[in-house]
Amino acid sequence: MNVVTRGIRNAFRNTIRTFSIVLILGLIIGLSLAMLVAHQAVGQKISSVESSVGNTVSISPAGVRGFSGGGSPLTETQIAKVQKLAHVTSVDESLSDRLTTSNSNLVSAVDAGTLGQRFAGNSGQSFTPPPDAFGRSQSGGTTTFTPPVTVNGTTNPTNLSDTLGGGTFKLTSGNVFSSTSSDNVAVIGSSLATKNNLKVGSTFTAYSTNITVVGIFDAGNTFSNNQVVMPLKTVQTLSSQSGDITSATANIDSITNVDSATTAVKNALGSAADVTNAAAQAQTTIAPLKSIQTISLYSLLGAVVAGAVIILLTMVMIVRERRREIGVIKAIGASNIKIMIQFMTEAITLTLLGAVIGIGIGVVAGNPITKLLVTNSTNSSTLAGPGRFRRAFGGIGNSLSSVHGSVGWSIILYGLVGALVIAIIGSTLASYFIAKVRPAEVMRAE
Amino acid sequence: MLQIKELKKVFKSGDTNVLAVDDVSFSVSDGQFASIIGKSGSGKSTLLSLLGALDKPTSGHIMVGDKDITKLHDRALIKYRGRKIGYVFQSYNLVPNLTALENVMLPMEFAKVPKKQRIERAGKLLDQVGLKDDKQKRKPGRLSGGEQQRVAIARALANKPQLILADEPTGNLDSQTGKMIFDLLHDLAKTENTTILTVTHDLSIAGKTDVTFILSDGKLVKR
Repeated sequence: MNVVTRGIRNAFRNTIRTFSIVLILGLIIGLSLAMLVAHQAVGQKISSVESSVGNTVSISPAGVRGFSGGGSPLTETQIAKVQKLAHVTSVDESLSDRLTTSNSNLVSAVDAGTLGQRFAGNSGQSFTPPPDAFGRSQSGGTTTFTPPVTVNGTTNPTNLSDTLGGGTFKLTSGNVFSSTSSDNVAVIGSSLATKNNLKVGSTFTAYSTNITVVGIFDAGNTFSNNQVVMPLKTVQTLSSQSGDITSATANIDSITNVDSATTAVKNALGSAADVTNAAAQAQTTIAPLKSIQTISLYSLLGAVVAGAVIILLTMVMIVRERRREIGVIKAIGASNIKIMIQFMTEAITLTLLGAVIGIGIGVVAGNPITKLLVTNSTNSSTLAGPGRFRRAFGGIGNSLSSVHGSVGWSIILYGLVGALVIAIIGSTLASYFIAKVRPAEVMRAE
Repeated sequence: MLQIKELKKVFKSGDTNVLAVDDVSFSVSDGQFASIIGKSGSGKSTLLSLLGALDKPTSGHIMVGDKDITKLHDRALIKYRGRKIGYVFQSYNLVPNLTALENVMLPMEFAKVPKKQRIERAGKLLDQVGLKDDKQKRKPGRLSGGEQQRVAIARALANKPQLILADEPTGNLDSQTGKMIFDLLHDLAKTENTTILTVTHDLSIAGKTDVTFILSDGKLVKR
């Protein structure tokens, strides 16, 4: 038998004490692992939200959001000011408009339904349907509402998901036009193409002009697939809104400069524009997750310290109990190092047994504890912001509670390494006491 | 040959110095069985712990063979304790969760004796002290006081020491068992050619040793 074997055997000298210590350490290590699981899962979620947000500042005319509100469009002169600001790498401009049955032969792919009728009726205090905005079926004086087809003029046709207000974007056939194009071309949604029997190369009428379909996209949702995307210059010219911009996105060189760039854009445009950035909105949305991350980190550290203190006090108690035995062993030729290794082995045996129980607890409780923490925190948070942001972040907010924590091999490895660290830290004071025991003391006790 | 020259040990007790061993000089020849007697507090156990290198003297010399152990450094002292000295304590001081055999093997493990030799020698020594077969596999708690002291004697002899120091080895035993243990120590000293120095209160036991020293207030008063 060597010092290590003796250390392992010594761990079982007092069965009740061993059982109690292992159980307590197991609970502590289990709690540590559950907190580690929560910390990692929440951290991954935060990273995924942050990476999906991007370094952009959104600019829209003051008081306007999509086709709601009021106010005046921005001008290209104002956007040119933004373009010159520090950290702004480029500005994507867009102009949204609605096609009417009088200037377009396109038929909407979306039926009005109850909601469409209600929105049409609620869109103004004394709403009178403009004759050109509706497909009319006049019989007995009633008007049938048909949702209009939205046309977006853009200088960034390669990133249509932004232009379409989010969602996944996939070009199913054809190509997009160039960003500086002023041709009478369009990329149209797949639903609209099907409804109007259009293919790449087909033409349709908009603003009483023939427009050629150069591409068809699938945005993954019915609303976006009922839209038309055209070059900005083309829409401005055909709709007689030369120089008008209804929304712009300033691209910033780094996420760390987004806040300062937002302030600079606000200063440059004054009260003419509503300026917001996605990062700030995302930070508000993920704030509860960051709280969980902090709580889980402190709980993890607290649990590790508690474990170390328990094993430390236990080992000190054991050393005091076996003071005479240590003296005898020293008297018959054992060095301090050998005795310390024996006691350290005993501490490691206890903590590794605790780690086995702790890993079991971590596997079982890791995910439920993570979900409990996330659910409690995200339920109390509110998703603020105007419609566009609700569209952009509503999904993220809803998916915050879908954080999933699991115990992988890395967590198990952390658990075992943590147990070893606890055992080593816990043995240090005991080792000091062992070194202080003088073999002569065993003679004095005789 | 064990030679003690002008040995002193002073302990601090509060503000006062206590002279536990005061200028003690004597010698014991190889293979001799010597005893130290004296009243409680006379410095017997302190003297024994100095001879066993368990404590350091304030001044003086302890020569074991040609080596002065008072000049040894810590690492050399550990080696000296493990290989040259055997201890027998009044209350046996066996490791409670080790069997009798494992207890006897323990000093040999620290002296880096190969495992096979450890098992053989420990078994042989336990046979010699009268602990046979299944008793060798028992833990101290399942052995009588006399049997435990036999195991302690076997442990003391494990590394074939030059000197065995026994502190009241019969103090916790009834007179009959005490006599048996004394006879065992005496016989083993002869067969293993080991010097034995024992501290005792029992004058009848002291009377049977080759040489007896009387200690009073830390001083050697009679030989």
